[in-house]
Amino acid sequence: MYQSERVLKEMDGIRQPQHSGFSTKKSLWNFSVSLCLCGAFSLLKSTPAHAMHISEGILPFNWATLWFAAAVPFVALGLKRLDTLAKDDLSFKPLVGLMAAVVFIISCMPIPVPTAGTCSHPCGTGIAAILVGPLVSIVIAAVALLIQALFLAHGGLSTLGADIVSMGVAGSFAGWFTFRLLRKLGANLAVAGFAAGLLADWATYVTTSVALASGIRGDAPFLPLFWKILIAFIPTQLPMGVLEGAMTAGMVVLLHKKRPDLLVKMRVVKPGTGNREPGSATPIIVSLFLIFSLFLLTPHTSLSSEAWRGVDESVVEKIAREHGRQARKPLIDPGEGDLLLFAFLLAGVVGGFAAGYYWRLLVSEKKAR
Amino acid sequence: MHHFTRHAHDTAHPLTGFDPRVKLLSSLALLVMVISCKGFAFPLLVAGVCGGLCLSMGVRLRVLAVRFAEPLFIAAVVLILKLFFAGKAPLFSLHVLGWEMVGHKDGLLEGLLIASRIGGAVSLVALLGFSTSFTDLMTALAWMRVPKGFIEVALFAWRYLFVLFDDAQVVFSAQKNRLGYVGYRRGLRSIGTLAGALVIKAFDNSQTITTAMVQRGYDGSMPLLKHKPFRVAEVAFSVVFVAVMGIMWIL
Repeated sequence: MYQSERVLKEMDGIRQPQHSGFSTKKSLWNFSVSLCLCGAFSLLKSTPAHAMHISEGILPFNWATLWFAAAVPFVALGLKRLDTLAKDDLSFKPLVGLMAAVVFIISCMPIPVPTAGTCSHPCGTGIAAILVGPLVSIVIAAVALLIQALFLAHGGLSTLGADIVSMGVAGSFAGWFTFRLLRKLGANLAVAGFAAGLLADWATYVTTSVALASGIRGDAPFLPLFWKILIAFIPTQLPMGVLEGAMTAGMVVLLHKKRPDLLVKMRVVKPGTGNREPGSATPIIVSLFLIFSLFLLTPHTSLSSEAWRGVDESVVEKIAREHGRQARKPLIDPGEGDLLLFAFLLAGVVGGFAAGYYWRLLVSEKKAR
Repeated sequence: MHHFTRHAHDTAHPLTGFDPRVKLLSSLALLVMVISCKGFAFPLLVAGVCGGLCLSMGVRLRVLAVRFAEPLFIAAVVLILKLFFAGKAPLFSLHVLGWEMVGHKDGLLEGLLIASRIGGAVSLVALLGFSTSFTDLMTALAWMRVPKGFIEVALFAWRYLFVLFDDAQVVFSAQKNRLGYVGYRRGLRSIGTLAGALVIKAFDNSQTITTAMVQRGYDGSMPLLKHKPFRVAEVAFSVVFVAVMGIMWIL
């Protein structure tokens, strides 16, 4: 009758009742096929893992211990904070438990990533950090990770420390700081929520790459393997971060529309303030984000420009060279000329467009004040 | 009996009757051996023993396959990464689209070691999960002096996980019926709404739960299950088993 019963049985491995036949079999079949397809696509894309969690047994003993040692102080601080808050409000512990369940469900949602042809999942710690603060969010992440490790084989007991540091500590603090900073700058809830979810996700995956690279490198140098793993995460996690950002923004906006009292209670917004606080800096933030993105995309700062040459260079040009057909110089060579000047020009155009787009908003707000 | 507290495994199997503290300690000892061993025979032995015990408990092969799918996929990818991108002694080479990929012998051995560790550790934890209920595990963790606040939050999360999961299913179905998830833009909005609805339900449920619990004497801390005394036979068996595995680990 309940979906949860089916999941519980699946998790604990008991025989399914016969009467729940068709839909159960069909969904299990669909799940298995999806899993296989995701796996096959991810394998073809050479992505080291389509999930955030570092699998059980992947870290050697010394690294597992080190990550545990790194995680313990944060979890202890989180528990201390939880006890302090629970003394004032008896409903706080049940709330944190339920938030852990929400994070568990969110981080079990397989979301197809169109650019990579794989499935990935959001982390959910950005949302938790916005609502209950970063320290308590670490406890939430730890609980969700423990349940996933024990009953779903997502992550593991030996890698729990590393997973807590990446998803709990890095994700929570990145999400919380971003949200708070943008709110202080006057960004509206949607923008701040989007950026918080985005950066929480990306911070998680950067930390996961550090943990993975340090754990599996053996005698090889750390940095090259770290870059390889990070680059391999990009096809899934770049769009996944955007999806998580959109999800976080949607959630915060929905809460503000439907239950603003909850946001006030959790001190996400101040009483009496609306979605947008006076002195909005949204246009500035949008412009800065666009400029920053543009800067990252320029060839000078591209992480992959040297290490990962394209198919044109590595295959087509190589074969052509072997057959005595040297490539001609392009008619328009972006490698020549004043690239920095061009980048500034383009940034000015984009910034001008953003300022122009929000001009009416700025003017009307000024009038309202 | 409510489906959260039900023991969803073969209760007749001797392993399920073992003291959870003994199981947890033995599993942790074996886990340390698996992740610190230098060869891949020992983790594979642990994987074989634990997999066999899971099957003997009545766990279906399909359930095991689903449980192992993700870790084994990761193990396969790590093996491939190590084979082609680590090591110095060439073993074979492949020509893919004009790109020469060289497999290395030492890389293969390193990859096999990591893959076998993953297999061994995952089967060990899977056996622990299949043979022990969550409540028993939390009680064992409390006995190991894991902070009570953590245990309480974990118990709350486990208790209401499936309630929220059902709620998520209901909201998802309602969204689908109202043309949610049509296109990426609307899909994103639908996912955000779903997450928001879950958070609202979590808040509301936490208030209801607290009210109900306070009426039953809740003062901020939850009583946990009391332990039965250790049984000598179980402890002795576990010590011998771990010692035998330890000798194999040394060998």
